Amino acid sequence: MSERLVITGSAFLLGDDVNTDLNCSNKYLPGKDIDYVAQHAFEQIAPGLAGRITKEGGGLLVAGKHFGINSSREQAAHVLQKMNVRAIVAQSFGRQFFRNAINNGLPVFECDTTEITEGQSLELDLAAGTLCCHGQVLQQTHPLPTEILAILSMGGLVPFLQKYPDWEFA
Amino acid sequence: MLKGIIVGSTIVEKILARHAGKDRVQAGEVVVAGVDYAMVTDTRAVNTIKQIDRFGDQPLQFAKKTSLVLDHYSPPPNQEAAAIHTEMRAFAAARGTGLYDIGDGICHQVLPEGGHLTCGDLVVGTDTHSVTYGAFNAFGTGIEGTDVSAVMMSSKLWFKVPETVRIDLQGELAPGVWAKDITLAMLGRFGAEGLNYHAIEYVGDAVRAMAIDDRMTLCNHAAELGAKAAILEPDEKTFAWLKAHGAKAPLPTFADEDAHYTERLSIDVANLAPQLARKHEVDDIVGVDQIDEQKIQFALIGTCTNGRLDDIRQAASILKGRKLAPGVRMIVTPASRQIYLAALREGLIEILTTAGASFDSAGCGTCVGITNRLVPGDGDTVISTANRNFKGRLSNKNADIWLGSAATVAASALTGYITDPRSVEGGTWRSAA
Repeated sequence: MSERLVITGSAFLLGDDVNTDLNCSNKYLPGKDIDYVAQHAFEQIAPGLAGRITKEGGGLLVAGKHFGINSSREQAAHVLQKMNVRAIVAQSFGRQFFRNAINNGLPVFECDTTEITEGQSLELDLAAGTLCCHGQVLQQTHPLPTEILAILSMGGLVPFLQKYPDWEFA
Repeated sequence: MLKGIIVGSTIVEKILARHAGKDRVQAGEVVVAGVDYAMVTDTRAVNTIKQIDRFGDQPLQFAKKTSLVLDHYSPPPNQEAAAIHTEMRAFAAARGTGLYDIGDGICHQVLPEGGHLTCGDLVVGTDTHSVTYGAFNAFGTGIEGTDVSAVMMSSKLWFKVPETVRIDLQGELAPGVWAKDITLAMLGRFGAEGLNYHAIEYVGDAVRAMAIDDRMTLCNHAAELGAKAAILEPDEKTFAWLKAHGAKAPLPTFADEDAHYTERLSIDVANLAPQLARKHEVDDIVGVDQIDEQKIQFALIGTCTNGRLDDIRQAASILKGRKLAPGVRMIVTPASRQIYLAALREGLIEILTTAGASFDSAGCGTCVGITNRLVPGDGDTVISTANRNFKGRLSNKNADIWLGSAATVAASALTGYITDPRSVEGGTWRSAA
């Protein structure tokens, strides 16, 4: 269980109010395959980001306020996974994006991100609720409850319910 | 709130506690709660069915409490959308869910009309405006495909208990001023997403005085505030409406007097003027009295926010025996087939069609540029009762969209300029309720 809850990688920075259209535009839906959408993710605000994350073999997105606002489309989370985004650290999240990320086993972490710089190596410990960044320990704003940690550790809500069909994990 | 000190519960906390089998829950905590009803729209159906299929062909006990609604691509504008509808019809037939086909109406209208929810219920839908069900004292909230698959497999879902803001709307709205004007004023005050994650309890004299149609507008538009729920106290009007639509016995749910709120506000709406969201920004709000000579070319009455009978009545009251201003086009899209029929029987369709308006089949078609049922021309200004007005919403980035009440839209269509409905004959019509 615990290995999925410790995540390491480099920081890839984005700003405030990054909405789901920026990584998963509705003009690519329905019908476009997810690889295509992933290649074009964030191109309006961070050109080349998808390529840089791929080059490093994955990483953590670091954003400001309201990451994932606007359209609630679940594909926005699928696209990030396709890009090898291992977790998203932000000051706050759009409500449905927060759900979609957790339901798909994509960790989300709320904390003060103002001091994090591009390329810094990060270590996220979801169970402890901490983010280590250059020797500094950042605390999670709202700790994730055990129910959510269980879903994340199983890789998402579907695998979780396949194992615990009546949510009997408590 | 100090930890460990027991205080009362808000409406949402009570509903979630009851559905989670707990005595009480607190804002911030995550609960696993039983769901009463689920809804899936055509925009989210492909992903939802894909997630459900991951569980194989296990029987779906919850199918009887689920409706698929073919409303966004209604009628389908292309082969891809038609294929989605074909897949939904096949899924509903094979797995036993309910289905509302094209022209039946918008999900948020057909669910309550179909008697699928009542006071105290927990209802989820794959659309942000599922908050509309709060008008019936139900906790309604938007979810996505994987969430639906979990509900269909287990009848349950996880919820983070939201903080609640209590807004007391005092005073009586002036004739010609509607719930839409209140919600626009709220967007001006809090900003778009200004109440992200929060539940809103709207209470007070102004809410009690509202007919059900207006109460649905009040709750619906809370989605633009980022709200997870917007919920009202039930009263005799609520019970009568639910009974008339065949809902099961209500479980009226009220907040405790010592409930904890992040904020309690009192707002006097007696002097509120009709409000407008200016082009592109849903929270760029001005009173109609502050607008000078703003020409319009297109008028829309419809959507899940304001496509109900009282909205169409407001328009008919203003446009009866008159004509749209030269150069103005107007489309009315009833929110459901039932509303379409009621408008027909009342003679409203004849009044508005004679005035120069056109009717589109019930659904979401004219609200958003996915069916292209309403595409404005370059340089056009649209005045609409919809809930969103960002650039390009109607498939043309060279057109502007302003938002207002049905009365404001109709008055503006009459004069060709954004117009205070109170300044035109018939613009102060009031609902009997």
